[in-house]
Amino acid sequence: MKRKQGLVGDTIFHLLPILAGCLVVAGLVHIATIFLLPRLATKDAFARLSAIAPAHQVVLLPDGAGGPFDDPALAQGMCRFDLAQGPLRLRATLTPDALMLFSFHGRHGQIFYSMTDRSATRGKLDMLLLTREQLNVVEANDAEDELPQDLRIIAPTLEGFVLFRSLAENPGEMAQAQARIAALSCGLDRDQRP
Amino acid sequence: MLHAFKLIVVALIGLGLGLGATYHAVERGQDRGLGVGLIFGAVKAGPWTGWPKTGTRESDPYARALFARNGETPIGLTEGLSFLARADSHARPFDSACDYTVKGAIPAARFWTLSALSPQGRTLPAISERHGFTSSEILRDFDGGFEIKVSASARPGDWLEVAQGQPFVLMLRLYDTALSANPYSVTAGVMPAIAREGCR
Repeated sequence: MKRKQGLVGDTIFHLLPILAGCLVVAGLVHIATIFLLPRLATKDAFARLSAIAPAHQVVLLPDGAGGPFDDPALAQGMCRFDLAQGPLRLRATLTPDALMLFSFHGRHGQIFYSMTDRSATRGKLDMLLLTREQLNVVEANDAEDELPQDLRIIAPTLEGFVLFRSLAENPGEMAQAQARIAALSCGLDRDQRP
Repeated sequence: MLHAFKLIVVALIGLGLGLGATYHAVERGQDRGLGVGLIFGAVKAGPWTGWPKTGTRESDPYARALFARNGETPIGLTEGLSFLARADSHARPFDSACDYTVKGAIPAARFWTLSALSPQGRTLPAISERHGFTSSEILRDFDGGFEIKVSASARPGDWLEVAQGQPFVLMLRLYDTALSANPYSVTAGVMPAIAREGCR
């Protein structure tokens, strides 16, 4: 014994769970793909930089090899790392008043540490990039009565890269900015036994 | 039977909508002129928008997906701050047929740069071979103020060239700035204004 409006009501009543179902599935698919994309991407910064740079050495990025939205006033270099082969040692003697930027990127592009030349003590930087387990080993070997002289940074992923960017204060100084990056040292740490 | 059919329809429509939403956020998000994609953690100050969290461990999943697709490497928050403008101070979208001046206040920073890029973040073709200015090279007036002219045709003074007939965005970067400690405190008053001067 259905009334007229009951029929319309019934149709909506039957469609409602279907619409709700569609939205729930859409939401799940959307969230899953957004979270999966960084893991599936083949054109991300790590893939692009791996193609042009061997690991554990400073490589200057040629013009146009950087990503989108790079500052054209910055010279860029990188050091790709694979901590499975051991901790990474980074040393720099910095030019006073010349801007140098350091950013540490994990395998999927996320920045886990960044600093500028301002953080240097007496114009020098000494950094050790390692995993939590490697840090335990290093700390076990530390002399007990003195503070470590290097800055120790724990990486969230085994692979990743360090980006060095140096400002050319005017376009004519790009070569000097590149030379400042080329003068950095980056490599597997010789003091640490893997 | 009908039940199974309903489930398949729901799954297919849901899949389509979900993938569509991801495509919209990630692919269209590559065009920074559209204002989609980077939606979380934005700080707005006049015509400028910054996404300080993209340079930290706390970058949001949308930003990560976006950067995984276009290979962008943002600067870390402790290195500095980036701001993007895609419209003038009156919220009129940039047009390369118009002239603009960028002047006024600038937050305290050891260095800053202003550059013009395509909405996809690529350098624009420029006869002047200049894609940006650094704080060290600009002309200053008696009060230390600056005035950068953004135009497709040559202008006296500090001329930042954009390409005729091509869309562009402006990027302002502040390096080694105290603002990094509190990026969400930035207001229009401390940032340069972008005035539209005239159109051809």
